[in-house]
Amino acid sequence: MRSYLGLELRRAFRNPAGMILLTGFPLALYLLWTKVLNVVPQGQRGDFAAYSMVSMATYGAMGGALFIGGAIALERSKGWSRQLAVTPLPPHGYVVAKLVSGMTGVLPSILVVLAAGAVLGGVRLPLWTWPALVVLIWLGVVPFAALGIAFGYTLRGQAANLAMMGVFFGLSVLGGLWLPVQAMPEGMRALAEYSPAYQAGSLGWRALDGQWPTGTGVGVLAAWTLLFAALGAWRYRRAL
Amino acid sequence: MRTAVELKDVSKRYGGTVALDAVDLDVGQGETVAVLGPNGAGKTTLLSIALGLLDPGSGAVRVFGRTPVEALHAGGVGVLLQDSGLLEDARVAELVAAVAGMYPRPLPVEAAMRAAGVAELATRRVGRLSGGQQQRVRFALALVGDPKLLVLDEPTVGLDVESRRALWQEVRARTAQGSTVIFATHYLTEADDYADRVVLLAGGKIIADGPVNTIKSLVGGTEVRFVFEGADASGFETLPGVRQVRIEGRAVALHTGDSDATLRALFAAFDDVREVHTMSTDLESAVVSLAGGAGR
Repeated sequence: MRSYLGLELRRAFRNPAGMILLTGFPLALYLLWTKVLNVVPQGQRGDFAAYSMVSMATYGAMGGALFIGGAIALERSKGWSRQLAVTPLPPHGYVVAKLVSGMTGVLPSILVVLAAGAVLGGVRLPLWTWPALVVLIWLGVVPFAALGIAFGYTLRGQAANLAMMGVFFGLSVLGGLWLPVQAMPEGMRALAEYSPAYQAGSLGWRALDGQWPTGTGVGVLAAWTLLFAALGAWRYRRAL
Repeated sequence: MRTAVELKDVSKRYGGTVALDAVDLDVGQGETVAVLGPNGAGKTTLLSIALGLLDPGSGAVRVFGRTPVEALHAGGVGVLLQDSGLLEDARVAELVAAVAGMYPRPLPVEAAMRAAGVAELATRRVGRLSGGQQQRVRFALALVGDPKLLVLDEPTVGLDVESRRALWQEVRARTAQGSTVIFATHYLTEADDYADRVVLLAGGKIIADGPVNTIKSLVGGTEVRFVFEGADASGFETLPGVRQVRIEGRAVALHTGDSDATLRALFAAFDDVREVHTMSTDLESAVVSLAGGAGR
């Protein structure tokens, strides 16, 4: 089990396509929002640089968590899970290795966007806020790892990746990671505030102002996590 | 002899088709058993059930006295599957080491790679290897746990002659140390050369089970083959000694218990017989004749 986790961790950190998609893309978007486009008036630039830094770090981390399922789907369709089924590794050992390595692989995308915020975006925060942001954003995307696993055990191969691209895009837009929910019409905004990506983002957005997560926020995230984990466990058992 | 693998009255259906039909099989520890049969005979189904990859529809399966999955998780079984995938972005040595770490008492990674003939590919990425090289990596994964039971489904598919021979040499070295080996193959000479015992499947049933020589003698006798150019191909079965007649186009094969008598009568009765030759029954024609008989 430990030896397999070691292999998965090494694989997570040398997958150039995955790293570019999940680190380079949020980074590029961040620089586009804050350095190239005139999204907000002059006076609010500093606030927006911090806000957008959290949004894009959450966005990248969310993708990394979701695409744990993409890797599972691909390895299932290529017969690797069939090979593992005839080793002493129990099936849950594979899921745990995927989850741990995938969630570790999420960290670089958080760190890179935060570093860009500090160095290029001129974001200035109390020292303790930086590690708090890393932890909060990282915890905030846990429900997406569970959702990804549910996808990974439902669809096979590229179909899972395509479906997850759609879900990734839809949930991140709805959650206000691309444009703030304040810009949305009333009805959509009400919906957005109960969406998992919005609540994941809120953990970091509130931390920027030195605020703790709200009870509602934690409750909504916990509810999504439970729901997605139940879905994932059900699909996983069906697929065995 | 203690039992390594035991199947009792195992049946499996897929919808309306019967893949396995009341199969009983006992494999003793230290035996080398070849599972043979035509395509669709149930070989892969039989192995999958013995490994716990498939649930038997009915009947009981034991591996070293436990359920197949328990035996696998305890690290007593090494397996090479026909259609398993490998992680293409991993290096050969990484993959073998990761699997070694799952077993309680593995071989040194280097030793397993050498035994499977992939030591010189250790730092290569699996996805860059040829099909035959990947098959040898699968063999290394099956060996590295130093298992008491080795199950190989078509292990030499895609291998060149040299690699094929090396693989069987390694299998033989393991059986010499008391390991049990069960393999399915299409190459009947491999069964002839390396198995102590042959289990012949046809239509989901075991139609013959015994030492290679016993299987051959079930059919026994000699084959008389020739080209027949005449119009009326009937009457061969009434020639003295003939047990079975196979006609494929103009090629005729007579299976006979007394080739001398058959040949004398053949020349006397038929004018249009050419290119006659006789051969003793090999495992291949034994299998064709036994499996063919059961299929009809």
